[in-house]
Amino acid sequence: MMNTFQFDTASLLLALPEIFLLSAIVVVLLLDLFLTKRFKQVTYYLTQASLLITGVLSYNLIGHPETVIFSNSFVLDDMASVFKVFMMGFSMVAMVYSRHYLTQHSLFRGEYFILVLLSILGMMVMVSGYSLLTLYLGLEILSLSLYTLIAIARKRSGAIEAALKYFVLGAIASGLLLYGMSMIYGISGSLNISDISAFASDANLGARETLIINFGLVFLVIGIAFKLGAVPFHMWVPDVYQGSPTSVTMFISTVPKIAAVAMLVRILVDGLGAMHAYWADLFMVLAVLSIALGSVVALMQTNIKRMLAYSTISHVGFIMLGFVTGVVSGYGAAVFYVFVYILISLAAFGIIILLNKEGFEADQISDFKGLSKHSPWFALMMLAVMLSMAGVPPFIGFYSKFFILQQVISAGFITLAVVAVVFAVISAYYYLQIIKSMYFEDADKDITISAPMDIQLVLSINAILILVVGIFPDFWMKLALSLF
Amino acid sequence: MVSLSDYLILSAIIFCIGLVGIFVNRTNIITLLMCVELILVAVNTNFIAFSHFLGNEAGQIFVFFILTVAAAEVAIGLAILTLLFRNKGTISVDVTNSLKG
Amino acid sequence: MLENYLPIMVFIFLGIAFGVGPMLIGYLLGPNKPDKEKNSQFECGFPPFDDSRMYFNVRYYLVAILFILFDLEVAFVFPWAVVQSDLGWFGFISMSIFLFLLVVGFIFEWKNGALEWE
Repeated sequence: MMNTFQFDTASLLLALPEIFLLSAIVVVLLLDLFLTKRFKQVTYYLTQASLLITGVLSYNLIGHPETVIFSNSFVLDDMASVFKVFMMGFSMVAMVYSRHYLTQHSLFRGEYFILVLLSILGMMVMVSGYSLLTLYLGLEILSLSLYTLIAIARKRSGAIEAALKYFVLGAIASGLLLYGMSMIYGISGSLNISDISAFASDANLGARETLIINFGLVFLVIGIAFKLGAVPFHMWVPDVYQGSPTSVTMFISTVPKIAAVAMLVRILVDGLGAMHAYWADLFMVLAVLSIALGSVVALMQTNIKRMLAYSTISHVGFIMLGFVTGVVSGYGAAVFYVFVYILISLAAFGIIILLNKEGFEADQISDFKGLSKHSPWFALMMLAVMLSMAGVPPFIGFYSKFFILQQVISAGFITLAVVAVVFAVISAYYYLQIIKSMYFEDADKDITISAPMDIQLVLSINAILILVVGIFPDFWMKLALSLF
Repeated sequence: MVSLSDYLILSAIIFCIGLVGIFVNRTNIITLLMCVELILVAVNTNFIAFSHFLGNEAGQIFVFFILTVAAAEVAIGLAILTLLFRNKGTISVDVTNSLKG
Repeated sequence: MLENYLPIMVFIFLGIAFGVGPMLIGYLLGPNKPDKEKNSQFECGFPPFDDSRMYFNVRYYLVAILFILFDLEVAFVFPWAVVQSDLGWFGFISMSIFLFLLVVGFIFEWKNGALEWE
């Protein structure tokens, strides 16, 4: 037999960011094992360096024409590269915040950083996945790392409980997703996204084929909704957010959302775009329920992590609205919304982490009382973050909501837009509540900010970005649109 | 002759048993893990049946990966279970109720 | 039609014979003199005669976890070994990378003391 299996150097170069990150993980893992306690910080710096280099490698691949490699299972296009660059940037910020939290709560262990790197590797595979197999494997690398990451606080029973809940519901979600995938494979005869797309957009598709694709589609949508945390598959979100260590909550609520949206785009838009009329209906219901429940239930929360969980659910609703429109500009608006949401969310969790003291978890809304007197600068930043989340005009959060609603209206869903706006106004109430307790109430306990310079600096830049991007949103919106 | 739809019905039944098992089970977390495993087995049955009747090996390769991932998943599930046991002294589902809001 | 199942019946009978036969022979021919040492716990630390529906020590789960992970790698090695001659260096290097990653995991668990019983 002819030897047809060869290493194709050209295609290996296209996967260079992933290959580099995997090698970096191996090096960091082995090195961390043999480091004494005094040099544990080395792991942190190596993690940041690997993220930076991976980001630069991905950046260099931007502009490369769309190429599908590794037996049609891995795609490199602008969407993949840009998503990877953003993922690296956001993860680096998240790691700066994490380090402070981990040292304060004596959770600083090398495994934390290794698990984060592994989950990022999984997300990169998801973003570039071009067959159902690669998408599934990427998703599992991500999820399994996250389950373990929560359980890293092994002495806290709340964290273990959160890990268990996340594990069980995540496993159900993967099961449903797989069942949908098996149906799609069974009817189209291929795992490859472009083959599935060709099959689904065939004009002569019989009624029986359409029925089976729709059957699989329902399972796929439920699986994705589970992972995104959309109502009615949101049960895990508040519990996991509240129980996990705050730095893990921050990571879970931010970067993996990019990967989830990328998977959504690959399967539903690239693969089953021809079936848009069917899945858009499901998405519409999920989006409206998420926005409504997220906005209303958040009003009753006293724990700020739990409140942010419900706020995430309503943001997820807005992201899904972008996909309901079924036009490229709507998808672009959804991607823009994801990036904006992550930027704001990182800042919010950064400020919560900043208020943490050794062995003290600042996770109640009342912990923000009187912050403006003790630290006007950070109170101002929290103000920007909260107004941004509520969608008040000069801030970036306004534009992300505005772009989505603009697309929803031009696609003809006026009622949908009105419902979204009404609930957005309701949700403004609980963001304003935090502002009220920061500015108009006196502190009932001592607030001192003892965080090191690096987190204060990064947090300030993060908050200023919220303003700057809010002043020039067009550039970023154009970038998001160019990805499709 | 066993037809494709027989396999699909079997896997649908196994899938439902697994799914219902997760939601009604209130005693033991190990049972939960078994139910998750049942769901994956149902999916595997689907993939192999399709793969056989389509004459396409991709589905069987997928099954290999699902099996491996399932093993990793069970390993992590057992690890979390061990931690839960150390923290609470029991592995009953009912103890996981301290997170509410 | 039915005679197609004859090999399976032979297989089942042989299986039972191989399983039950030696035990029966041992029971019939061997001397039966139990003493304290013989009935004491050995190997896994379980009492030799006990109810099988008992609680396991949580440490067994740890062993089970590690066993599952390294057990399943064989699922990939077997198919690879069958077609290795066709795959050539490509297959060899790919499998080497896979096994190297497994070894890294093994070093990690060893250094962390997961293989120690106590």
